[in-house]
Amino acid sequence: MAMEQDEVSREFPIREDVRMQRRVWRFERIGWYVLVAVVIAALAGVFGNGPASHRTVTSTDGRVEVEYARFSRNGAAEHVDIRVKGAPDAQVKLLLDGPMFRDLTVESMQPQPMASVSQGRALLLHLKTDADGIARLYLSLRNDSVGSIVGKARVGSGSAVRFATFVYP
Amino acid sequence: MDAVLRAGAMYIALMVLFRVAGRRSLSDLTTFDFVLLLIIGEATQQALLGDDFSFTNAVLVISTLIVLDVGLSLIKVRSTRAARLLDGHATVVVEDGRFLRGRMRRCRLTEDDIMESARANQGVERVAQIKYAIVERNGKISVIMRDDAEGEGE
Repeated sequence: MAMEQDEVSREFPIREDVRMQRRVWRFERIGWYVLVAVVIAALAGVFGNGPASHRTVTSTDGRVEVEYARFSRNGAAEHVDIRVKGAPDAQVKLLLDGPMFRDLTVESMQPQPMASVSQGRALLLHLKTDADGIARLYLSLRNDSVGSIVGKARVGSGSAVRFATFVYP
Repeated sequence: MDAVLRAGAMYIALMVLFRVAGRRSLSDLTTFDFVLLLIIGEATQQALLGDDFSFTNAVLVISTLIVLDVGLSLIKVRSTRAARLLDGHATVVVEDGRFLRGRMRRCRLTEDDIMESARANQGVERVAQIKYAIVERNGKISVIMRDDAEGEGE
């Protein structure tokens, strides 16, 4: 009886539309679940800074390895760590190409490369390798665009790595 | 262009989020709710202005928000359907001294919430004295008392 009363639209003192109201309630309920899902996804790192966002790619011959964030946000800093293998105590030439290095602002580059030259629209860096033949480069980029941004790192013809970051507005 | 898009997107996002939150959430402001509102405002501000703190940008953002808000209210005046969609409905939750529990549950209201409002606004002691309690569109609970004759007939 009480439930039946709930279903009836009243005309007085206000004009109700129970069907519509139920839709609103359903929207609120589903919306709540959606928000919970968004929060959980954010914790996992789908919107940047989390386990789901952290990626590592290695070139087929293993000479270049790039750690980067799969997802990032506009205005946030993004860290790209590049590891290059070469001859011990020598130089390797790392070519950084793609919109990621052209369009984003490079805020810092550690350690400073021995030389930094442009090659076409790409950036050619001369890195010094350590006793194990490994050179590392830590880049900090400022995301000032939106959408998918591709970066490429290359040492020689066979050792290329392509990686993409999705930047949320 | 940037400022208008930012303000427009934020306006829509906030509207959807607050519709999900429902009308109960921010109506009876407790101190905590007030602080929460301030934090929401603070979080919104950055996204609205970006890194452009110029006078022009602020005026553009405010103009966009006002244009959207006035535009929506104009639409609401023209169309009842749109008004109901955007503002929601009022809902009766007490009728002739009886709680309508299914509705109360969906509105996330307890008996205490309703009686609190009834005491505060009308000096009601028992639910039997209430003719109608209505959750208004802004989340406030309006209480209409029974006439004395009716109350005594109970």
